[in-house]
Amino acid sequence: MNVRSKFKGQLAGVLISATCAGMLLASCATAPPPEDKEAVAAFKEANDPYEPLNRAVLDFNLALDKAIVRPVASVYLEIVPEPVQNSVHNFLENLRSPVIFANDLFQGNLDRAGTTLARFALNSTAGILGLFDVATEAGIKKHDEDFGQTLATWEVEPGPYLVLPIFGPSNSRDSVGLITDILIDPFTWFTSNEFRVGRTIGTAVDKRARNFDQINDLEKNSLDFYSAVRSLYRQKRRDQIQNGAPAENTPVPGGLSGLPDGNSGNQQGEAPPTGK
Amino acid sequence: MRRNFFLGLGAFSLIVVLNTAPACAASKEAENFVRIMGERVFSSLGEKGISDEERTKRFKELLPQALDLPRIARFTLGRYWRIATDEEKKEYITLFRKFVIQAYASRFKGLGGKTFKLLHSRDVSATQTLVFSEIIIPKQPSVRVNWRVRFKDEKHRITDIMVEGISMSVTQRDEFVSVIRQTGGKVDGLIRALRKKTSSN
Repeated sequence: MNVRSKFKGQLAGVLISATCAGMLLASCATAPPPEDKEAVAAFKEANDPYEPLNRAVLDFNLALDKAIVRPVASVYLEIVPEPVQNSVHNFLENLRSPVIFANDLFQGNLDRAGTTLARFALNSTAGILGLFDVATEAGIKKHDEDFGQTLATWEVEPGPYLVLPIFGPSNSRDSVGLITDILIDPFTWFTSNEFRVGRTIGTAVDKRARNFDQINDLEKNSLDFYSAVRSLYRQKRRDQIQNGAPAENTPVPGGLSGLPDGNSGNQQGEAPPTGK
Repeated sequence: MRRNFFLGLGAFSLIVVLNTAPACAASKEAENFVRIMGERVFSSLGEKGISDEERTKRFKELLPQALDLPRIARFTLGRYWRIATDEEKKEYITLFRKFVIQAYASRFKGLGGKTFKLLHSRDVSATQTLVFSEIIIPKQPSVRVNWRVRFKDEKHRITDIMVEGISMSVTQRDEFVSVIRQTGGKVDGLIRALRKKTSSN
């Protein structure tokens, strides 16, 4: 397969995503009546105008999970020895290095780009093609970046919450990020079809297996799985964008409501806690 | 004149010292509180080989000493707290406690073999302190856990726990508010859902 036909394949993927986005526009959640102030504020805060469609896509993803991904992950956890699981994970993570490196650079963070480069060089050689994370053992710690986070550092708004088929929770900014990361990844272009399919399946199984208990726990203990996931996604992204720095203005028990008008972003503008 | 100036300065610095010293101590006290609670969670709730009933029993005992549950309950109702009736508030707090026990008790099972390490703390207001800690897991990256501690009526109580930047209180609030919204903006809808959830097992 030459580069050109690969590009066609990628383009088809982008077109499919665009079609999905178009479909989203067709089904909108009805905004609550303006006189119900509580509901309007909650509606704005969730930033989820396509909720009905998102819920349908989540149902689809959950059905797919129940039918295929979860059973496979369960068998994987059962029969594959832990050291092998760790190596699979290390290998897949190492493949993400070029994308992380590019995003470190896009964010102007040369130190972190250097770290990513050093990790990739070390793990790909001494770590035998990434099977062993020798860099972490040498004290060069791992970090993650993606183009959605890069866009966030460029002050692009997250946009409405989206649940993508197969890929799961996202928003319009992170969806653009996801496609961009695929397009700038050298492993998209310079590997065989089989390798890419294997990588995608491997990543899905690895991710599902590593979060097996947490997902089960959340499904069991949530009143509304959909909104719990939406909340977790928003918080997780905020934490990733800030590279783990504690948020000063996160809403906390103490400050109740008080959402400023016109705040359409996902960062809630709740009043900081006041000592009472 | 000059003497007055120095007297004034002295009085001023005394006030400053008196005002800031307790704040400094408050942060340390909150840190200590989290240390004690964290150690109890790990040694008592994380103990291997105890039955689920025993774990739940221990959690129930520890809960009122560790968490400011009424305050968290109030927060998790979001803006709907203001429109809830007194009876609804009362029943909601009771159900919320049951829900927390049911949902969280089993989560302490996996703590065996992991260690709790307190890092530092910072006052975020006159009565609230953010305490930073991490859970060290052998052969894996450590997990960042931050605690929000509130000092009131001579007692420290935790009002939020943030794991890897994800706040338990905020997650719970977002979910509950969504349930209320789906049931037509009635707090009663959430109460019914909680009743069902807490009586199922």
